[in-house]
This record gives sequence, structure tokens and C-alpha cells, in this order.
Amino acid sequence: MSKPLIKIRDLSKVFTQKSGCLTAIENVNMDVFDKEFVCILGPSGCGKSTLLNILARLDGAYEGSVEVGGVALRSTKIRMAYVFQDPRLLPWLTVEQNLRFVINCLGIDKGLSDTKVRTYLEMVGLRGFEHSFPYQLSGGMQQRASIARALCINPDILLMDEPFSGLDEITARSLRRELTRIWQETEKTIIFVTHNWYEASYLADRILIMNQRPGNIAKEVTVDIDRPRSYEDPRVFEFSSRLVQDFLSLIGGDDVAR
Amino acid sequence: MSAINEQPLFWQWLAALNEKIPNRLKSVLLFILVWWFLSLFMSVNVLPGPLATVKAFLRNDMGDVFFHVRMTMQRIGMGFFFAMVIGIIVGILMGVSRTLETWLDMWVMIVLSTPGLVFVILSFIWFGMNEFATVVAISIASFPSIAINVWQGVKGVDGKLVDMARVFGASPQIRLKQVILPQIYPYFIASARICLGITWKLTALVELLGRSNGVGYQLNYWFQLYEMDQVIAWTGLLLIIVLSIEMLILNPLEKKLFAWRPEVRL
Repeated sequence: MSKPLIKIRDLSKVFTQKSGCLTAIENVNMDVFDKEFVCILGPSGCGKSTLLNILARLDGAYEGSVEVGGVALRSTKIRMAYVFQDPRLLPWLTVEQNLRFVINCLGIDKGLSDTKVRTYLEMVGLRGFEHSFPYQLSGGMQQRASIARALCINPDILLMDEPFSGLDEITARSLRRELTRIWQETEKTIIFVTHNWYEASYLADRILIMNQRPGNIAKEVTVDIDRPRSYEDPRVFEFSSRLVQDFLSLIGGDDVAR
Repeated sequence: MSAINEQPLFWQWLAALNEKIPNRLKSVLLFILVWWFLSLFMSVNVLPGPLATVKAFLRNDMGDVFFHVRMTMQRIGMGFFFAMVIGIIVGILMGVSRTLETWLDMWVMIVLSTPGLVFVILSFIWFGMNEFATVVAISIASFPSIAINVWQGVKGVDGKLVDMARVFGASPQIRLKQVILPQIYPYFIASARICLGITWKLTALVELLGRSNGVGYQLNYWFQLYEMDQVIAWTGLLLIIVLSIEMLILNPLEKKLFAWRPEVRL
């Protein structure tokens, strides 16, 4: 395979609190390749979001090395966008203005922004809601807007932190399907954090399973189901249940059996 | 359809008129009506009617009226300005730093709980009966309610939105101007409202106690003469001015700034 786009070596993060130190992640090693869809899967509190926050440069205090596009994370020119678990739209701006906000943050040519905003709102199915305020939209539509916002800066890497876990199953399903479609259309690299085994099996090229306390990568599996996949595909179901079984035996069955 | 047509023409006309008049105006008209009605049973020295009040007011020399109103407005304006400046600074400091919060919060509460009159007396004793002492007393007594509002506003800033802006590469300036400040604006407006209310009441009190001009002085003067029509006239004048500030400046500003907010339904 070619050179990895993201290369993480011996990454550790310790939170220092009054009550003592908490090791969130320890010795994480992982590679992500260009145009790959990688899911980071693990139980709550295993450090998935910590890992994503480090990649998003929200958190600069870590040990180990993180390289993106062949250079250290802090000096990389690779553009990243983030889709949070909650939509995090600015409530005083309309949907369209929210997209423009991030375009302006990066200082991207304003002439282009008009078409971009329209293109991506259409892509996520929000045509006609350009001038709505976030509170006027449903949770699913707000999350669509947040995906459009992430896409409109044309990022190389899309970081997603459990973006569908707060939505009802039907909405989540349709958004998952659209995400795979958009991913194939736009050829982004996606790092998708989730605690949902089935979701990961449906979406990913490769799944990195994380262990808890301290968080590290316990297992890495390639999802060998050809695309386009259907959410009801028995192969996806089979794959995810095998994944759960493997993981349980890996971390020691008796702990779980009890 | 026919039910409406069968009603007498007068009632139809009245219903149409009722729709056209805003509720606020109706309530004011009702108030004046009740006032007039009550005044019929009382002497002019206790409760003069609306018309008598207006007549009494018109007996004043208008140049004089203008002078006193100007003095009062100057004091309200200066007091309001300095109270806002102190309040916003203290509020932001308390919201941003936990240390400063624990140093200051008790004092803000103490000043808030102290009657404004105390500051008026102290200020007059320390600085003399002058304009400086007046503005000091008004701003000190009014700033805590602003500080408390702004303090809560700053503490309530959604860090998740700030993180979002950082991830998308917003500079510190953009984060402050376009993400943090818009979250605090509502608190600024709310505190400006409260501040205006406190400062004008205090200004009247200060003028009554230690100034020889202004609306508060006039109130005291006419009270000494037991001319209730003048007392009510001057009060009404000040009320109209303060309400105009609220309705012509603060209200439209709020509407413009917060059009994005959903209506609250209980």
C-alpha cells in the first residue's frame, strides 16, 4: 500500500486533575490511508474522542508523534473538518450563513463560496432551507447542515465523532447511506468514531477497535464486504456479530460473562 | 356570515376599531380613564385628574422645564455610562477568572444589597454636594446588577461552539467577535434595561437630597408646596422620557439583534 496519510506512533494522553492522573489513551499506533473510510470503534470512555480531538488540533498536549501528509500535525497543510456528535451550528446564523462562517474562517475565495454553499446543501438534502435558523430544523436536518458545513471547506480529511448517535434510527440510517454516497462522490478520507458495531461494519473499509482504560488499539479488521452495501445486508450483520464475538474473547471472556 | 351582518353597525365599527388599536395603547387609555374616574372623588391636593395635571404642567416656563430635564438626563446618562462600563468590566473578569470571581463575588452582592441611599449619603459626605459625587453614587449603586448579568453571560458561553470555530480555523479575533460576543449580547441588553431603571430612580433621589436642579429637585419642591398636580406632572414627564428610551432604542435594538431566537411557549 502507498504511504499513509495519517501516521500515529506511540500516542499517549494523560489528563492531570486534582484527584490524580487519568491516562486516556496509551501507546496508540495507527495509520490511515488516503480516501480510506476508517471507523474507530470502542465503548464509551475509551478515549476515542480524545484521539479525534488531538487529530483536530483541539488538544496539543500529548506524547508521541502524529504525522499528517508526511509532516508533523502542527505544521501540516492538510485540511481537516469535523462533524461533532451535536450539530454545533451557530444559532444566530442561518444555515447558509453557518456554512459561510467556516468558509470565511479559512479565508477561502468568496466568489466560489456561493456555488459551494449551494452544492453542499443540495448534497445533504437541505435545498430550500438555506435561510432557516437552526432552531427551525429537526435534529437530523441540523446534523445534515453540520455535515454540509464540514464538506464545504473541501477538506482532505473528515473527522466524525459519533455524528448519528443522537438521532433516531430511521434518520440515522438514511444519513449513513448518504454519507457513504457522499464519501464515494467526493473521495475524502474519513475517520469515523462510533460505539455502534453495526454502524462501523456497514460504513468502514477498516475498523480499529479500542480497548478501555487506558485506551489503545486492541484489534484491527478490514471489512471485506463490497460496495455499495445495503444496511440490511446479512453479510454486514454477520460481520458485526463476529466482530463482537472476537472482541469479547480478546478482552477475556469471563469478565464479560459475569 | 349573516351573524356578523345582523349586528348593529355601531358594534361592527367598534370591533374593527378594537382590532386596529394596539393593546399597549388600550391599556394606557384605560389607565387614564380609571385615573380620571378616581380623581372625581378626591381633592386636587390628593389626586388631580389627567386634565388638571396637564394644565398644571403647561403653567411651567418651558425653558425651565427643559433645563431641569436636561440636568436630570445628563446625570442619568453619565451614571448609566459609568455603571455599564464598571459592570461589564467586573462581570467579564468574574466570568473569565475563577480567582477573581471568588475575590469579587461577595462584594458585588454586598453593593447590590446596600440601599442606593447609603451610597448617595456617603458620596455627598466624601466628595461634597456636586455633580461628581452624584455620578459616583449613581454608578456605584447601579453597577452590580450589570456585573451579575454579564458574569452569568460570560460563564454561559458555550465552549463547544468555540471549539467548533477553532477546529475550522477561526482566528482568536473571529472567535471573539463572531462566536463569543454574540452569545453575551443578550445579557448586555438585559443589563442595560435594568441599569436604566435603577439609574433614573437613583438620580431622582440624589436630586431630591442634594441638588438644586433636575426633575428630582422639582418633585421635592412641589411636594413641599403640596401641589400634587405638579408632582404628578413631573413624574409623568420623566416616565415618558425613560419609556421612550426603552421603546425607541432598546426594544428595536433587541428585535434587530435577536431575530434568530425562537419564541418561547410555556
